Amino acid sequence: MANSLFSTRTLDCKDLHVYLKTLPSHILDRLYNHPATCLAVFRELPEIGKHYVMRLLFVEQPVSQAVIGLWINNRHINEHHICTRALSDLRIWYEQPLPGGMQGWILNSTFKTNMKTALLGGGEPWTGRGAVPLPSDKNSKDVEFLDKYAVERWECVLHFMVGSNEGKDGISGDTIEVLKHSGLMKLEEGEPMPFITPGGFQFLLMDTPSQIWFFMLQYLDMVDSRGLDLVECLSFLFQLSFSTLGKDYSTESMSEGQQRFLQHLREFGLVYQRKRKEKRYYPTRLAINLASGLSSITSDSNRKGFIVVETNYRIYAYTDSPLNIALLALFSEMLYRFPNMAVANLTRDSVRAALIRGITAEQIISFLRTRAHQEMAKEGPALPPTIIDQIRLWELERDRFKFNDGVLYSQFLSQGDFEKLRDYAKDLGVLVWDNNQKRVMVVSRAGHDTVKKYWKQLKQSGNS
Amino acid sequence: MGGSKRDKREREEGRRSKKHKSDLDFDQYDVDEDSQDVESGGIPDAATRQVDESSSKEDEFGAKDYRKILDLKLDHSSRPLWVAPDGHIFLEAFSPVYNHAHDFLIAISEPVCRPSHIHEYKLTAYSLYAAVSVGLETKDIIEYLRRLCKTTLPSGIEEFIRLCTLSYGKVKLVLKHNKYYVESQHAEVVQKLLKDPVIQECRYRPELNDGENTDVIQESVTKPTSIQFNKPVTNGSSTTVPGTSTSSDPQAGPSGDDGGGTSDNTDTVPSDIFDYYDKMDNDEEEGEDLKTVSFEVKQDRIEDIQKRCIEIEYPLLAEYDFRNDTVNKDINIDLKPSTVLRPYQEKSLRKMFGNGRARSGVIVLPCGAGKTLVGVTAACTVRKRCLCLATSGVAVEQWRSQFKMWSTADDSMICRFTSDAKDKPIGCSICISTYSMLAHTNKRSWEAEKVMEWMQSQEWGIMVLDEVQTIPAKMFRRVLTIVNAHCKLGLTATLVREDDKIADLNFLIGPKLYEANWMELQNLGFIARVQCAEVWCPMTPEFYREYLTTKQQRKLLLYGMNPNKFRACQFLIKYHERRNDKIIVFSDNVFALKNYAKKLGKPYLYGPTTQGERLQILQNFQHNPKINTIFVSKVADTSFDLPEANVLIQISAHGGSRRQEAQRLGRILRAKKGAVAEEYNAFFYSLVSQDTMEMQYSLKRQRFLINQGYSYKVVTKFAGLEDEDLAYGTKQEQAQLLQEVIAASDQDAEEERIAGESQTGKSVFGKRVGSMSSMSGGDGSVYMDMKKSSNKHLHPLFKKFRK
Repeated sequence: MANSLFSTRTLDCKDLHVYLKTLPSHILDRLYNHPATCLAVFRELPEIGKHYVMRLLFVEQPVSQAVIGLWINNRHINEHHICTRALSDLRIWYEQPLPGGMQGWILNSTFKTNMKTALLGGGEPWTGRGAVPLPSDKNSKDVEFLDKYAVERWECVLHFMVGSNEGKDGISGDTIEVLKHSGLMKLEEGEPMPFITPGGFQFLLMDTPSQIWFFMLQYLDMVDSRGLDLVECLSFLFQLSFSTLGKDYSTESMSEGQQRFLQHLREFGLVYQRKRKEKRYYPTRLAINLASGLSSITSDSNRKGFIVVETNYRIYAYTDSPLNIALLALFSEMLYRFPNMAVANLTRDSVRAALIRGITAEQIISFLRTRAHQEMAKEGPALPPTIIDQIRLWELERDRFKFNDGVLYSQFLSQGDFEKLRDYAKDLGVLVWDNNQKRVMVVSRAGHDTVKKYWKQLKQSGNS
Repeated sequence: MGGSKRDKREREEGRRSKKHKSDLDFDQYDVDEDSQDVESGGIPDAATRQVDESSSKEDEFGAKDYRKILDLKLDHSSRPLWVAPDGHIFLEAFSPVYNHAHDFLIAISEPVCRPSHIHEYKLTAYSLYAAVSVGLETKDIIEYLRRLCKTTLPSGIEEFIRLCTLSYGKVKLVLKHNKYYVESQHAEVVQKLLKDPVIQECRYRPELNDGENTDVIQESVTKPTSIQFNKPVTNGSSTTVPGTSTSSDPQAGPSGDDGGGTSDNTDTVPSDIFDYYDKMDNDEEEGEDLKTVSFEVKQDRIEDIQKRCIEIEYPLLAEYDFRNDTVNKDINIDLKPSTVLRPYQEKSLRKMFGNGRARSGVIVLPCGAGKTLVGVTAACTVRKRCLCLATSGVAVEQWRSQFKMWSTADDSMICRFTSDAKDKPIGCSICISTYSMLAHTNKRSWEAEKVMEWMQSQEWGIMVLDEVQTIPAKMFRRVLTIVNAHCKLGLTATLVREDDKIADLNFLIGPKLYEANWMELQNLGFIARVQCAEVWCPMTPEFYREYLTTKQQRKLLLYGMNPNKFRACQFLIKYHERRNDKIIVFSDNVFALKNYAKKLGKPYLYGPTTQGERLQILQNFQHNPKINTIFVSKVADTSFDLPEANVLIQISAHGGSRRQEAQRLGRILRAKKGAVAEEYNAFFYSLVSQDTMEMQYSLKRQRFLINQGYSYKVVTKFAGLEDEDLAYGTKQEQAQLLQEVIAASDQDAEEERIAGESQTGKSVFGKRVGSMSSMSGGDGSVYMDMKKSSNKHLHPLFKKFRK
């Protein structure tokens, strides 16, 4: 997967369903053993899909495909197909022939049972909601603290990636493994620390939820090698996504594997736990938003824009975050650092340096746009159009070659032969290029046959 | 991470040298021929001072890191600016106290760039000199800056301000009752001056009072309140006429506006900013009693004492107490009652006449924003004999008509002194001439000789210097030595800052009194809203091959005559003519100019075109609906007032001259009537041939305007260009054009050099020195790299000072 990532040059960031579809069916079936997973998957279904599931939830026998087809107006037949396909891929339902020979659909029984539990209640308590309620926390944390904590932790990872000084500590070997596995960083021969790759630069310019999602997918890819159970981790993640921000949960009923997983989440800032041995944890916003994948979150709504881009290619960043500055410095030339603001210049050289590292113009533009200061949005477009154009032009100017097919004629025995053939090609208007000294010429693909024929004639008449 | 972890030192150095180089590049275009032969004496230490920034460090990205040395104030969000220890100031344009901060920063620093959200200024020795000369005091500057700043004020800055301002602006050279006095409010300064032996010699002591009389004249003057423009000011009176004009109290303007704002912003704006601003306002407004100390100076030693004062770091500010000047008779001109000044014009004039006397200095307004009216009003305020100097014959005509339009002056009062006009200037009240006419050193006609003698013998009340940035210092100094004027007002649109000459202006004329913000005037509708576009024209393969192989001088011809450029130009002309626009096409290269114009059948004018013909073409352009496009060379860069023109196409330009770009834009800046509905009402196209030197030049040229907040849209392709019937569409035609270009002589390849009416000095370059082209910034072309090193070490300030 890591390899395919770079063939396209853009990071392949799957949403939840696409990810689940890649899992083998037995894992999916095991996943549905938990109500939280079922609910999370259900939540992300298209509207029609939710409808079908609800209608079939309490039906015990297969329902004819034709009948289901009638539930929908013909005009929306496309959506119907997309939806039935998705439900099959996710193994929420599968085909079963009806007694009359017609094809019918029946819901996956595990999914059905647990979905019912999720809706109607009952069953095992979800992780963290231990049988015994937790005594109230004397060090309880509010939402503001958790948000700050989460961002700090996550930025540590990013800092590590950009190699800035602030991110040296607090990054475990496991995290580095994930980064290397995902192709965001790679270890060069003889270097103690891994280096960021072009993919890593693209990763840095994504918004935080997409980053976390991408990172977690990579992490889940590797859980087996750590001796963790994928299903256990996934269902824990899904349960987290149904927890309440600012509330504490118990680690009491968690399995040993889940405990280890929790420690990793703690490192990335998805949960807060005061001490390793502490019996309680707080999920952060990052974890709660996670399971919805990318579909619903478009930008970091909790973060205010801080970048002012001027028509004279100046960038003013209202930030004291070294990470933001480091990101900005990827494609601009830093001029001044004030306690709460930094001044940078966008130059052709600085943008080209970024382009060479594999960052695209579109990523730079979207980075600037999503973080634009509220003053910028007041009048018209958030970014000056000329700046956007210019960044794109800088990208385009790297791509100025035009390719034409042609055939090379070389190794002429005499200057006379060369000149005859060249003049012939020139007269036909098919000569692309020629070099008199080296006696080589290029003829366009279209003219090749004619020139070749002429050359043969020439040789024959020469021989005869 | 690969890049940023690379050797940051190296990067930083690269950047420095880059910056340095670009500065020098501009110098190339603006360098004077005479910069070598100037004596470099008389430079005060204060002027050579740089801000001390040894304390700042660099962060890992090569930026100057001030986080450790500056502490953020708790209420930083309500304060508008950051002051960097290297003298750069960043101002939030969206801050509630923007107006206050802006007025203040304009007074004490040079604007670097002013786009829409955050403006940059720079404190320099010159700007602080200008600040004190308009009456700001050291402690006020530091204190107000401290209050406006989001962080603590860097100590180096405080020190710098103190060093630069303490000795400046303390002493004035005043002409009263036709006697020169050195005057100061600081007795100790006067005492110090008097201890200097040179100054002692220059001091005038009436015979009867000799002996050990070292007393100075002490007097108490009531500081006159402000002057009302556009109202007759009677001699000797210092009362103001309660104004009916909209801006009778300009200081109330900004604070009045914000007075409304305060109610909303009382929470957000720290009150100390308002308090202090009001206090400074009042300082300026109050007619309080001022104790001054002065002594008289021998008239023939003026130059000596000025020079000496600079050496001992007390440069003399020149002020003219025109109301008390009884020797020179008043002339009877006033502004017409219908003339209304715009707020910024009034503001600039108030800086000039702020204390009831006339200060010498430079006022910077964008082209088309009404500089002439400012000049006319200044003349009407002083009401003494007035000399106006312009750059060309056409400009002289324009000044004359403007005088007649705005003021009560008529033909009997206004005289032109040019080689063409046959007015009789002797005895006139307002004389309009050109710089070259005055600085002329060759033999003149008998008549002109007489006029010159008369001019030299006169004491002029005010001298208005138009387009002051374009004149070589040498010619300029000659003009200033020929004519004695009490007060000098320089007008310009582009005070391009890097080069030495601007520094000269500081001391030859006076400090910059006011500089308007282009974007602000544009938003208020005082100047046109211009859409700037850079059109990229790909070189045809044939032209590009020739371009790569030909010698340097001829490259210009090839990228100028690029058939794709021609087609783009023709397309734009057709497009805009259909919209009934008036189009000016600029070309510095005469070969291209003629070729384009002839091929398209349009009138053109350039250096050799006679005055009469020029006026005829211009008049046709203005009034003849059939003539919508004219081709002009760089003679039209400045002072060609063409109010109708709203489209400008530039096909060849002078290297990387930012000034030329701004001047050209100025041709279409005059506010257009009745076009409010459209987003843009003027268009500026700069056609550049892709992959040639033009691209780099173009980048440089635009920098000034971009810093003023303009943005250039890059156009790589016109929709519909293919459908138009345009010339040079076929390979044959293009090949033929290429042959013509190749056949052109080397002279054709050069930019225009016109040996016009302005022969000055002698030099190895003969005609080139001081020609029209150098006046419009054309000399010092791209091949002048060798001048770099020779110029570097001369410090700009004072170096050419001589009165």
